[in-house]
Amino acid sequence: MTTPFPDAPPLTEGAAWHRLHPLSPFVRAGRQMMSLVIVLFALAVLNERQARGDVVIDAVVIGIALAGGFISWLVTRWQIAGDVLRVETGLLRRDSRRIPLSQVQAVDVSQSGFARVLGLAELQLRVAGGDSERGGSLACLRVAEAEELRRQLLALAGAARRPARAAEAGVAQAAEPGAAEGTAPAGGSAPTAAPTAAAPGPLAAGPPSADSAGSLAGDVREAAAPGRQLFRVRAGRLPAAIVLTASGVRALVIAAAAGLTVQLTGSPGVLGPFLPVVLGVVLALWRQFNGEYATTIVAAPDGIRLSSGLIQRTAETIRPGRIQAVRLVEPLAWRPFGWCRLEVDVAGARQRHENQAEGQRLRALIPVGSRAEADEMLAELLSCRPVPDRRPPRRVIWKAPLGYHFLGWSGDERYVVASRGRVSRQTTWVPLEKMQSVRWVQGPWQRRLGLATVRLDVAGKRVSAKVSDRDAAEALEILGRLPDLARAARARAS
Amino acid sequence: MTVPLALIGGLVGQVISAGAGIGIAAAVLLAGLVAERFLARRVAAWGYAERREDLMIRRGVLIRRLSVIPYGRMQFIDVTAGPVERSMGLATVRMHTAAAASDARIPGLDTAAAAVLRDQLAALGEAQAAGL
Repeated sequence: MTTPFPDAPPLTEGAAWHRLHPLSPFVRAGRQMMSLVIVLFALAVLNERQARGDVVIDAVVIGIALAGGFISWLVTRWQIAGDVLRVETGLLRRDSRRIPLSQVQAVDVSQSGFARVLGLAELQLRVAGGDSERGGSLACLRVAEAEELRRQLLALAGAARRPARAAEAGVAQAAEPGAAEGTAPAGGSAPTAAPTAAAPGPLAAGPPSADSAGSLAGDVREAAAPGRQLFRVRAGRLPAAIVLTASGVRALVIAAAAGLTVQLTGSPGVLGPFLPVVLGVVLALWRQFNGEYATTIVAAPDGIRLSSGLIQRTAETIRPGRIQAVRLVEPLAWRPFGWCRLEVDVAGARQRHENQAEGQRLRALIPVGSRAEADEMLAELLSCRPVPDRRPPRRVIWKAPLGYHFLGWSGDERYVVASRGRVSRQTTWVPLEKMQSVRWVQGPWQRRLGLATVRLDVAGKRVSAKVSDRDAAEALEILGRLPDLARAARARAS
Repeated sequence: MTVPLALIGGLVGQVISAGAGIGIAAAVLLAGLVAERFLARRVAAWGYAERREDLMIRRGVLIRRLSVIPYGRMQFIDVTAGPVERSMGLATVRMHTAAAASDARIPGLDTAAAAVLRDQLAALGEAQAAGL
């Protein structure tokens, strides 16, 4: 294999460098490329008497974009050395990334529509405590190759984590990213490398291929074993459910208003200025539908496997220990059908390109499902399930007249659960060992009524269980007890 | 701070008329005293306690907050000092956990005290580290 870096020999003997798939520049540039081509095509059609020179300029623009993609592919290479994944890229600005596999939270496979046509997939490594910049992604590989590599990486990650657990039994989850990451991302995995050097050795020797699967370590086969399916969203229910949410209702109202306007004025042209708004609403709905279509949850030995998507498909595995909070949402419009939505908040799962609003939305295990399905899933996720049955004092009705009827909390030595909401009930379970800090908050109204709120912060997307509007003394008592309970839970979990 | 501001306001007002000058001075004085009282209460409400296994921070007058942050959950500690703070020899210590929502800061510490607190918290955090 000819390498473009003669001056950068691989650090580990026998660990070969690999390239991404040659078609990956097309996929990576896919979206921009498509829009560029469409714009150019539209311009060409509109301007029939286009000068020849313009066509040449268009061709040059496309050519430069393709050449850039090709060069970027040429200088990108990756390698598994021991229990570290190394990715090097960049022609002018070199970027060499070492991702210690012991710190990997999850490995996801995602495919854009264009990638699916070409049979390619992107591999994303999730590392806790940050956006995807901290992790790495390999875009793109062949689908089979990506799946195989994912299994291999997860097995290596598991192997790298285990001896650390055994060695540092006293320190909770020391091998997990959070602890070591802030100070020394690479150093954190150094002590774990030695005991496992024998296991990953043969794995790192060659590129992952179908025929090598048989000779891999037991972990790989174990991880590859099919699990039992927990849930699959019904295709008919999803569009109905999305339309019945707040944004769906908004879209319907907009559509009705638009129809009425056209009826009254008799000319569809007046809608022109509002087109961007309509487009935005429709796109948001479409994105949700596209993302949650055919959500399938499978319980596997290495965690919960989640795959979804209509055009862009993603597959991710959530290790049980990665769940920071579980939330059950029951919107008002869904209640007649008995539907609900179950979401999990995980650490280090920020998707690329997502904006603020999407960042706030959690990963839905059940985009829409019946209560029975949600109960089954909850039983899978939580070892015991307290019900938020401790009601707030009666006088809360003066402070929160609309929210009073859904308020409640409960807790045991493992979980705290709190429910709240005005028209849509949200119930949040937080495992105590995931609690980062507790806050006791009292606003002016609450002080007058002798109330207070307790919030539990977890490492996720700003989701915190909120035990709202309790008696001030009770809230203080909760605040005093929770840190000790959380410490006990952490000690038990490690 | 309030008195010089009131004086300046009064002098500016003198340009228009004597009555306006006195009026402006009185208004600025009153506003300044009210603001000072608010600030003083806010500063007085801010407090922290180093407990055996966690740090407790209290703050707020209108909205009262009491946070408990276990040492083991601290990811890193910042000591910042803005230009105003620096001119007074003060600094702010801020603790970060893996949760973005837990906001724990102790402003207005003496620079030396802030450094001591930072080292102390870092040592405690390392001893009880728990990660995610």
